Amino acid sequence: MKRLLGVALGILTAIGGFVDIGDLVTNAVVGSRFGMSLAWVVLVGVVGICLFANMSGRVAAVSGRATFEVIRERLGPRAGLANLGASFLINVMTVTAEIGGIALALQLASGVAYILWVPFALLAVWLVVWRVKFSIMENVTGLVGLSLVVFAVALFLLKPDWGALAGQAFSPSVPAQEGAGVYWYYAIALFGAAMTPYEVFFFSSGAVEERWKIKDLAQSRLNVLLGFPLGGLLSIAIAGCAAVVLLPAGISVTSLSQVALPVAQAGGQLALAVLILGVVAATFGAALETTLSSGYTLAQFFGWSWGKFRRPAQAARFHVSMIVVLLAGVAVLATGVDPILVTEYSVVFSAIALPLTYLPILIVANDPQYMGKHVNNRAVNIAGVIYLFVILVASLAAIPLMIATGAGA
Amino acid sequence: MSERKRVQPRQLHAAPSPAGLVLDAQLHLLDRQMLDVDGVPVTTVDDIELSGPEPNEEIPEGTAPPQITALLTGPVLGTRIFGGRPPSSRLIRIPWKVVAGVDTVVTLGVRADSMDASWVERWLRNHVIARIPGGSHEP
Amino acid sequence: MNLSDMLGSDVLDGAGERLGEVSDVRFALDAGAGQLLSPARLVGIVVSPRTASSFLGYERQEISQPWPVAQLLRWRHRGSFLVLWEDIAVMGSEGVRLRSGFTAYDARLTR
Repeated sequence: MKRLLGVALGILTAIGGFVDIGDLVTNAVVGSRFGMSLAWVVLVGVVGICLFANMSGRVAAVSGRATFEVIRERLGPRAGLANLGASFLINVMTVTAEIGGIALALQLASGVAYILWVPFALLAVWLVVWRVKFSIMENVTGLVGLSLVVFAVALFLLKPDWGALAGQAFSPSVPAQEGAGVYWYYAIALFGAAMTPYEVFFFSSGAVEERWKIKDLAQSRLNVLLGFPLGGLLSIAIAGCAAVVLLPAGISVTSLSQVALPVAQAGGQLALAVLILGVVAATFGAALETTLSSGYTLAQFFGWSWGKFRRPAQAARFHVSMIVVLLAGVAVLATGVDPILVTEYSVVFSAIALPLTYLPILIVANDPQYMGKHVNNRAVNIAGVIYLFVILVASLAAIPLMIATGAGA
Repeated sequence: MSERKRVQPRQLHAAPSPAGLVLDAQLHLLDRQMLDVDGVPVTTVDDIELSGPEPNEEIPEGTAPPQITALLTGPVLGTRIFGGRPPSSRLIRIPWKVVAGVDTVVTLGVRADSMDASWVERWLRNHVIARIPGGSHEP
Repeated sequence: MNLSDMLGSDVLDGAGERLGEVSDVRFALDAGAGQLLSPARLVGIVVSPRTASSFLGYERQEISQPWPVAQLLRWRHRGSFLVLWEDIAVMGSEGVRLRSGFTAYDARLTR
């Protein structure tokens, strides 16, 4: 039982990757335009993130080194800085979007204009980062975020034609009204979101925060194997709801309220309330994950003292950098930019950050100086190399596809 | 560069193996995390200072090999990335004699707070973090 | 000198022919580790004929996983050799010049 309660880190990490505000909308856009024909990408992404998050958790538990320390050590300062720059920009953009997302969800609940909720969201996120214990933070946001399961419940209540949905999912094809370029652009966007690098930064640093050791390796594996598939399931359920309700009605998704439409239709006011609670928790969790990740990456690259297990005074640069990131995010929101659009452009930076993150993890997970006898086994290495190749291809294709399709427009 | 001819030694001899710990600087030292005596991260190994040889001067046969005098950190990281060289006065040195061990991390035998390498940390602690309520409370 | 002045600099033999670049600098700690470490003396330089970029850890002979990353990096550094301090004549801005009749050793780390 204690083991099952100890999977909050995996769940919170997965929430940031699969159902943060950008993904909530992207998943619904995908469902409303492509039906279930991109569900396979989520599956591929889930397997990939499970593979590498488990590796990064194992490196952290065995050697005590979090992922960005490994990146700096193995890639050196130049390639390490390129990764830091790209990853940090992704983090800042996502922090910005999530603070906006919390405010949007609260607007949906209250009717009070979104911009008025922004300072409140900022303060709440900072207070948690500043004062709340890591274990309390992950348990509360992880568990409340689970109320997004309402999407899966709604899908059942909608009584869809399961055969048709399964047909779209298992024999995927590009819908007639969409171009192949757009289809593949969204495929890469979904894959990039599933494998977004801040998940491994957060997961491995969280393993250090929780002081995982070799005896906790089973715990780490359980976190990975429950958290990420659950995230993927939510992601597919959101697309499924959109495919059942929005696709036939010809509604194109541009805002959070359209994402909520199928759930309201299936379950009424109560389901809507659960949904809003889930969205607030998920965006809040993703905001925490990305704020902390920006502190973790900077501190680990430069060798600063970091961690929520220390008093803020014992990790001064870590806390100052997170305050700066939060203020920068709010400054961007103050310009009136649509927070959901902000995350769309993180695909560009993912193209740089993904290979430069997963290659050093794979190499160090094979290094006996770090891992002793817990180096990767052959099957994990074969899968890791295949995924590295897929990541490389997706990275090379991402920017040309984005330009050619006008970011999927 | 590329048009210059390269010659290749024909035969490789088995290397003599020194009795103690062998460290390849780039592999085992450079860019590793430094922890103080209490396990608190201090900084990273950004460069390494050697006792010799004098640049561009002929090394007489039988000269004793140079030793590592200090691990360097601070602005020298920027020059490793972008080129150039910081003035010697701006280098932050961690003398080799305070290094207690080299593994996946470099451990030091002193406290971070007693070192020049952590002045930014102390400045931000005293001028920013300590002034925010709750900054020095246990999490 | 600092380490970053040596890494990546050209290596020439006694006659001025180019052999490659310094890809790493090897040190040894002689005495057993007490409370603090004994002095680290320079043993020699690792010369790579093609690239001064890092081996990413694959200079150690027992590490060959994952295929093909390990094999690819080894291949980029094929022909690397170790030159001992005794065979170094000058280190400086034009690179490293070796003494004539230097000995090239196997550069792989055994541990």
